[in-house]
Amino acid sequence: MKVVALEVAAIAVLLALAGCGPAPIDPSLQVGPNPYLPPIHQYLLPPMHVAKVVGWNGATPTVPAGLKVQAFATGLANPRSLYVLPNGDVLVVETGGPPAPVSRPKDIVMNWVEKMAHSRTKPGQRILLFRDTKGDGVPDQQSVFIDHLNSPFGVVLVGNDLYVANTNAVMRYPYTTGQTQITDPGVKLCDLPGGPIDHHWTKSLTASPDGSELYAGVGSNSNITENGIVAEMDRASIWQIDRATGAHREYATGLRNPNGLQFEPQTHTLWAVINERDELGPDLVPDYLTSIRDGAFYGWPYSYYGQHIDPRVQPQRPDLVAKAIAPDYALSSHVAPLGMVFYSATNLPAHYRGGAFVGEHGSWDRTILNGYKVVYIPFADGRPSGPPEDVVTGFLVDGDHARGRPVGLAVDGKGGLLIADDTGNSVWRVSAASP
Amino acid sequence: MPGATPRSTVTLGGLPLYAMLVPIPIVCFVATLITDIVYWQTAAMLWADMSAWLLLVGLIVSLVAAPVGMIDFFGDPRIRELHAARIHGIGYVTALILSVFNCLIHTRDAYTSVVASGLALSAIVVVILLVASWNGWVLVYRYGMGVLPTEQQ
Repeated sequence: MKVVALEVAAIAVLLALAGCGPAPIDPSLQVGPNPYLPPIHQYLLPPMHVAKVVGWNGATPTVPAGLKVQAFATGLANPRSLYVLPNGDVLVVETGGPPAPVSRPKDIVMNWVEKMAHSRTKPGQRILLFRDTKGDGVPDQQSVFIDHLNSPFGVVLVGNDLYVANTNAVMRYPYTTGQTQITDPGVKLCDLPGGPIDHHWTKSLTASPDGSELYAGVGSNSNITENGIVAEMDRASIWQIDRATGAHREYATGLRNPNGLQFEPQTHTLWAVINERDELGPDLVPDYLTSIRDGAFYGWPYSYYGQHIDPRVQPQRPDLVAKAIAPDYALSSHVAPLGMVFYSATNLPAHYRGGAFVGEHGSWDRTILNGYKVVYIPFADGRPSGPPEDVVTGFLVDGDHARGRPVGLAVDGKGGLLIADDTGNSVWRVSAASP
Repeated sequence: MPGATPRSTVTLGGLPLYAMLVPIPIVCFVATLITDIVYWQTAAMLWADMSAWLLLVGLIVSLVAAPVGMIDFFGDPRIRELHAARIHGIGYVTALILSVFNCLIHTRDAYTSVVASGLALSAIVVVILLVASWNGWVLVYRYGMGVLPTEQQ
């Protein structure tokens, strides 16, 4: 039996070694324009560390002095993105992705990890409308605005046309101010890359300041081309869609999973937050916030942060890598930014005006969790001008239990910051402590 | 005891179970090398996915085959004394341990899930299995392990 014991011991030791990786560095070394990029570490067994979902149980997130936070809506079914209509009505998109296919054994494990990290509530696949008639920041009317959508995410209103980005198409609905329900079936403006894989399914949406073009974020169909390069056709890019005809072109490419598309109000430049690739170590690759340049290539899948080659991608494309540009501002690794909003209202203290809030959904492949908060990045002259500051925290409790996870952000008609919390099934509202 | 052959302890309907099980992981691990080589040459992910499934099936069947083999090894002193049995056992266990690693390497995404360490491990495992299998055949065809003796004792 000695042989058996030795064999068991050998496997145990080797598996323990397999789980080892470099210790995560301080995320503050990876924020701003020039993040530290450690050497690549490819795991035998990536650390799968997801915060256990415990819910809020009456607690609320934490905000710094001068701000207050209150529940705007609770008991929702996976609220992931928000949009505020001109009359102050708040749209809350209850959504979830399509079921992930299993093409190899790892997918079974990954699907389980995903499930553990999220709320057990079945996503609504609809848009709810909330109205605050008393003006106290707490809505007193609620209705189902548009029902039976297909993994919706982005919403934008241009004139009387309301656009909803389902995971597979941009839909247009007629909207008149004050409407609380849309029953019109809508018209398809254009198809978007959807199934059958649809790995990154959230399609963020915004409109150009003049309203002539729409911009849709179309995430990649894999972490790093493991579903084949053909599956990446028209993906990992931001589409510019002609509002009149529905014709599109790729405005910028090499963006693994772009979300939070917003025009910076001062310079009218398009910005987005990008989820970068996993499984190159706890500190690669930093997710980022960047202005989006017309025609630019940001590296994915061939390279990251400019021209750092990813060895997992074959065949390589040196011609594309030569064109790859580095993004503007790192947010540190695996924070999973999924929402972004520029703050140009006046309710919050002057300190928070002019910059961007970013919702960090939080990491799953890092032994020390990162993200799980809303940060503020100050801007000056249309560019980030300082390190990110934690604004809304408390999503994690006891180190690795999640009460909620922030996703989409919006600024409401009174200047409050709204945060969709898909795991806590709530929308939070942050405003000035004393008006 | 002339005519007596080494006895298999774990049998199914009187036939050695180990001999029925062990070809499955061997075929899986050999096929893994083939699909790894095709992936290396084509970079078509389907082949790397096939390798990952083959490794998993090989390891799952080994969860049963390896203990059965060990019980047979310890179950009859005549087997334990055979040089070929020791080489077969050590070879198979080594191949299994390496395949656990290979399975983990194959969970990486895209090219480095196979090239170069996955492919190298698949090749080493096949070489080890050639030696282990040869010695396994020696056990059966030379020493008649699990084979009914021609003369009843």
